[in-house]
Amino acid sequence: MTATLLAHKDLLLFIGAAALKVLVFLNGVMGFTALLTLAERKVSALMQDRVGPNRASIFGLALNGLFHPVADGIKMLVKEDFVPGRADKLLFALAPFFALVPVMALFALIPFGDYVMVFGYRLDLVIAQVPLGVFLVLALSGLAIYGVFLGGWASGNNFTLLGALRGAAQMVSYEVVLGLTLVGLMMIYGTAGLQDLVRAQGKLLFGFVPAWGIVVQPLGFVLFLTAAIAENKRTPFDLVEGESEIIGYFMEYSSMRFAAFMFSEFVEIILVSMLSATLFFGGWQVPYLYDTGFVLPGGAALPLNHYLVAALQVASFSAKTVFFSWFLLVVRWTLPRFRFDQLMTLCWKRLLPLALFNILLTGAALLALGKL
Amino acid sequence: MIVAAAVWTFGAVALLATVLMIFQRSPVKAALLMLAALLSTAGLYLALSAQLLAALQIILYAGAIMILFVVALTALPAAWRDRPAPASFRRVLGLAAAAVILGELLKAAGPLKALTVDAPFSETGALGLARQLFGPFVLQFELLSLVILASIVGAVALTSRRRGNV
Repeated sequence: MTATLLAHKDLLLFIGAAALKVLVFLNGVMGFTALLTLAERKVSALMQDRVGPNRASIFGLALNGLFHPVADGIKMLVKEDFVPGRADKLLFALAPFFALVPVMALFALIPFGDYVMVFGYRLDLVIAQVPLGVFLVLALSGLAIYGVFLGGWASGNNFTLLGALRGAAQMVSYEVVLGLTLVGLMMIYGTAGLQDLVRAQGKLLFGFVPAWGIVVQPLGFVLFLTAAIAENKRTPFDLVEGESEIIGYFMEYSSMRFAAFMFSEFVEIILVSMLSATLFFGGWQVPYLYDTGFVLPGGAALPLNHYLVAALQVASFSAKTVFFSWFLLVVRWTLPRFRFDQLMTLCWKRLLPLALFNILLTGAALLALGKL
Repeated sequence: MIVAAAVWTFGAVALLATVLMIFQRSPVKAALLMLAALLSTAGLYLALSAQLLAALQIILYAGAIMILFVVALTALPAAWRDRPAPASFRRVLGLAAAAVILGELLKAAGPLKALTVDAPFSETGALGLARQLFGPFVLQFELLSLVILASIVGAVALTSRRRGNV
């Protein structure tokens, strides 16, 4: 028994490390998602000059509404799980999984730090290190459309089907732009692996500017963020599910199945934030921080312990994620909603040509600089 | 060992989903079974370390083409019937034709078994593919884009004519 275990030591260590990373990273994401549901309501309250949720309390301790996510969770769990009579039972049950699973799987590809040495082993701070991460991100985010469409179709309700059709059309369209905005990045850094992209962003331009994606692809970033918000179905692109007037694809859902749809939207906020940070804002990079510590352009150096460097990098990635999540919340409560024809015009007549122009521009610049 | 297990599992799932799809009476469910087959084929590519092929399979087939299929299928009257219509004689005939094609395919696949080439391991194959596409096959590749452009123009022409009538 011990002999076989020792023979497969590397494999067992790999599985153990992967399980640990999944547990820590996904739990962090889930906890942050719960807090984000509260933050969304607090931000909307701030924007509308209200106090926001602050009543849920444990032993009289309200902590300004910190327990509201818990209260919401309990409420969702004990609500009636209603299935409409006309619904297709199997597809109705399947749709929430299609909405949630691809989004959760995507977190495996995102590097949340460089690496740490544990007992002489090198532990890469990313769950799945694949050479074509960018492509897999696009592939998995494309699968989330099924959740929207099946949810609307299986409910057996015309209004939900219309919402689902809107959703499918919107997500398929913006998926195209989303893919094209990332081509420029891959051309400049010469890689499609997310971890490699982040490492490449650690270099310096002209000796002092960090070579982050936003510096070399400013237009690409604006297009990416727009397409990503549309893909996420949030305001100003939320006409997939305007609850109060045009109704949405998950109107017939209740209880935990509804929670799965709602939860997946909040998880997607985190995902979009993490992708923006990873692709355009240097991921876990801290400017001028290297393996050995800070090295400023002037030559001044501050050597740091390896674990401190790793902790700083993870903290940097977390801070960027929190910043972009906050930004997305503010965008939602600032901008009004598009009309559907405006949404489609924006995608096919504005964003798509701009994304193609960005690729042309990047190619021309690379050719002029002799980098091809 | 793990690779072999993954290949067999994904292959079995793909086969099962395809067979179930053929005998599924509801169009939307049949399309979803086809999606399952496409996804497990992508898993098969992944297990054989053809990452680019797997990603493209999911982006193009599962993410774009099957979505259009599913959306189009929901517009069919058959998708709105509570109880699907029973199989007609014509469909049995179609099944027989499919069986003949399957037999021919199996016969053609027989010699392939002996043809195992030890390809040099490459992590993605993306670079090799790109070199082929934009090297020796660049003319054919660009001609293909013309074909796609022609089909787009055709689709727009067809829909705009219908709009003119209304």
